[in-house]
Amino acid sequence: MRSIKRNLNLITAMLSLFLIGMVILVYKIYSESSFYILNSDSAVLGKIYDRNGEVLFDQNASPETYGYDYFTDVANLIGNDSGQMTNTLVSENIELLNNYSFSYGQREEDGKSAIYTTLNHNANREVYDSFGNKNGTAIAYNYKTGEILICVSRPGLNPFGGYENLEDGSLLCKAFYKFTPGSTQKISTLIAAREQMGEVLLNSKNFSCSGAYLNKSQQTIYCHQNSGHGEQDINAAFANSCNPFFAQLVEDMDFNMDTAIESYKKMGYSVNDSVPMKLEINNISVQTASTILNDKYEFSTQWGFIGQGETMVSPCMLMMWQSAIANGTGKATLPYLIHHTTDVTGSEDIHAAVKYTSELFKPETAEYVKQIMLNNGQRYSGSIYGYTVAVKSGTAQVKNGDEENSFLTGFNADESNPIAFCVLIEDRKPGEVTTEEIAGTILSSLS
Amino acid sequence: MNGTKEKAKLNYFFVKLLIIITHVILLATVGLNGVYDNVSEVYMLSAVVLASDIFWYIVIGSFKQDTYTLDYLLVLIINVSLIFQSCFGGVHFNLKHFITLTAGMIAYHAGYLFTRNSFRAEKMRPYCYAGLGLLAIIILLFTGDRSMWIDFGSFTVQPSEFMKPLIVLVCASSLQSQQTKKQIGIFNVSPNNIAMILVSACVLILQWWCRDLGSIPTFAAVTGCAVINRIFYPKAKLSKKKIGALATGVLVLVLIAIKLAPSYVKDRLYVDIWADQYGNGYQQCRALIGMAEGGWLGKGPGAGKLCNVFAYDTDIVFSSVAEEWGLLGAVLFVVLILLMLATTLINTPKCYYHGTVAVGVTAVFIVQMSLNIFGSCNLIPFTGVTLPFLSNGGTSMVTSGFLIGMLKASQCPVFIRNIVEIKPSETAERRRESR
Repeated sequence: MRSIKRNLNLITAMLSLFLIGMVILVYKIYSESSFYILNSDSAVLGKIYDRNGEVLFDQNASPETYGYDYFTDVANLIGNDSGQMTNTLVSENIELLNNYSFSYGQREEDGKSAIYTTLNHNANREVYDSFGNKNGTAIAYNYKTGEILICVSRPGLNPFGGYENLEDGSLLCKAFYKFTPGSTQKISTLIAAREQMGEVLLNSKNFSCSGAYLNKSQQTIYCHQNSGHGEQDINAAFANSCNPFFAQLVEDMDFNMDTAIESYKKMGYSVNDSVPMKLEINNISVQTASTILNDKYEFSTQWGFIGQGETMVSPCMLMMWQSAIANGTGKATLPYLIHHTTDVTGSEDIHAAVKYTSELFKPETAEYVKQIMLNNGQRYSGSIYGYTVAVKSGTAQVKNGDEENSFLTGFNADESNPIAFCVLIEDRKPGEVTTEEIAGTILSSLS
Repeated sequence: MNGTKEKAKLNYFFVKLLIIITHVILLATVGLNGVYDNVSEVYMLSAVVLASDIFWYIVIGSFKQDTYTLDYLLVLIINVSLIFQSCFGGVHFNLKHFITLTAGMIAYHAGYLFTRNSFRAEKMRPYCYAGLGLLAIIILLFTGDRSMWIDFGSFTVQPSEFMKPLIVLVCASSLQSQQTKKQIGIFNVSPNNIAMILVSACVLILQWWCRDLGSIPTFAAVTGCAVINRIFYPKAKLSKKKIGALATGVLVLVLIAIKLAPSYVKDRLYVDIWADQYGNGYQQCRALIGMAEGGWLGKGPGAGKLCNVFAYDTDIVFSSVAEEWGLLGAVLFVVLILLMLATTLINTPKCYYHGTVAVGVTAVFIVQMSLNIFGSCNLIPFTGVTLPFLSNGGTSMVTSGFLIGMLKASQCPVFIRNIVEIKPSETAERRRESR
């Protein structure tokens, strides 16, 4: 009998192994079924709405239903299911839109899968139009809650127009990609300096600007004002966006490079190829910031602190730093696009929550920078009329100096309308629409 | 004792009733929820299924056996299979499948008759060697260039399928024959064991040569079980060294097989089916999508779309059933086959030879079901083998029937009475000796 028992043990082992395999199979099919359906030709997707119930994505959209330009301002952010666009809300969250579940099957007519976003479509359209014929990007969010209210990127994309002969960059939401930040970088340099020197010492620093500064490596840093700004402290230099001042600040004996690099890294920069802050907004990957900083007496390093050279920052990251300043905590509010979702039966599935980054800089630094930016904002009371704003502008030379990108980042200090924003106009020429005008449109459209 | 027999009869009555009720429920689902152009197809299918049930009840009842569990389970399975196969892509009575199922039932009885007397079955081993040799010659002479099929006009035969029951019989052994050793040169070996290993190796090489790579794991599993039976025979110690050596041997063989595998096989090992949806991954992707569309309860009989995919009724038949009858329906069918195999654990074999037969049959079924189901669902590389009693195909059905017949033989105690065959002349001689 012992011999037969061993045979039976062998049979039991085989049956058991197969049963385990079947359990794994059933679990795999159940858990991956939505993915299978999305890879079929028969996937039925739900809609995406803005915060007021306006449709931002409809799988069956037609120009007759919505109008030819209805989606142009949001198409490169929201994306579609054509597979032509990646890193968009649809492509990265398509399973949330799938009107299917293994238990309920596919619901073609009565499926209720949907994404309810935080976007304000009317405001978005208004800001998009305010760019006129210029390309660029504008992003704005509630710095208390993290809700992204406006996110436009030009050139836009008309989903009804097909994908032939598209303008460069029309498939991207530029707010999530890095650009040379120009003088908006001085906010980071100011933060790094304040973190290591403290308020009193930093305020005591005075440097002279004659329009150009010959640094200790015998290389010249030019100021945008040829006649120079004369003797300035940090407040005046920040307002004047004076390059020679900041070059001399970096060279100063009280400015320690290692500490400054640590401050930059804490803020999310990749410094000298270190790992940057990883940022995703509802699975959309967002580039943060990077720079190369070596010898503080070298032109390239000073140029990096000023916002040129190898320094790159995304408009979204610039906006997030504004929230850390505006909140006075040094912690940035994490932005999000999805307010909540519903599944195929209409039950609420995912609900957003307010989240913050770790401390990017000290609360005292946040308050200090806030005050300097508010002072600077007073200069914009004419162009951004009716709002108490804290801002910093910047002009970045790109394409070997052939083009200049114009930046403006800041926030509305009025906590009843807590908006942080960043605006970028590419290749802006004198006389064309300004970043302040677009910032004004952002604030007025959201009021 | 009489009371027990009456109780047994009563239980079988309810078993038979339950089988008919199951079939009626499935047929009612086809009628009420199925997709068909002509309702006469549903009537035809229903009539054949129910008539077939009754016919097999009568046939089975005419055999005297101690247990009928396997017989009735098989009747349940074959007619569920007929209903499933008659619904793919629209309800239509599948006459071809009905014929192959009938052939499978006949093969089932043949397998039982062949194996029920272990003493006689073991004596038939030389014929099994001969049968394997004959099949090898047929494969080498009549199949296409490095192929596994012989074409007979509108239908094809896969001779290697017939090797499966033969290899199980070659690998089955009584304790006496597996322990009887002879001095061959300096080695004291068991001729039976050496012959089993050599024959199995030849069969595996032949399968490799004719590119029937899907069958290799099945043959390897049967041989592997036979080796385990011989290494861990009752008096042998179940040492960790032996287990380690065996596992290492298997691993080495698998690695060599992967190394030597043709490029198209290697492609299947590493293919990302979703990245190659319209190439190497086509069948599996469609199968998985079909199953997802089916959900738990299916799209309904005849409503599936997998019928447009190659091998929908053979290699990816599990998914085809899941699409129309739901994952629950497909899993329940597999559970029925598992129950059939598990009956061995209740009606245990009465001799070692039958124990090894049961192990071999279980190995064939488990490996083949694993390759078919897990392969088509992308849990393991896709090999394209049939699912016993469900896939369309005469060779597979006959082989599966014969194998289950062998399993029944291992459970049915009828043969015990005939285990010692004594010729009249031997009887007289024994009497003289006893005086």
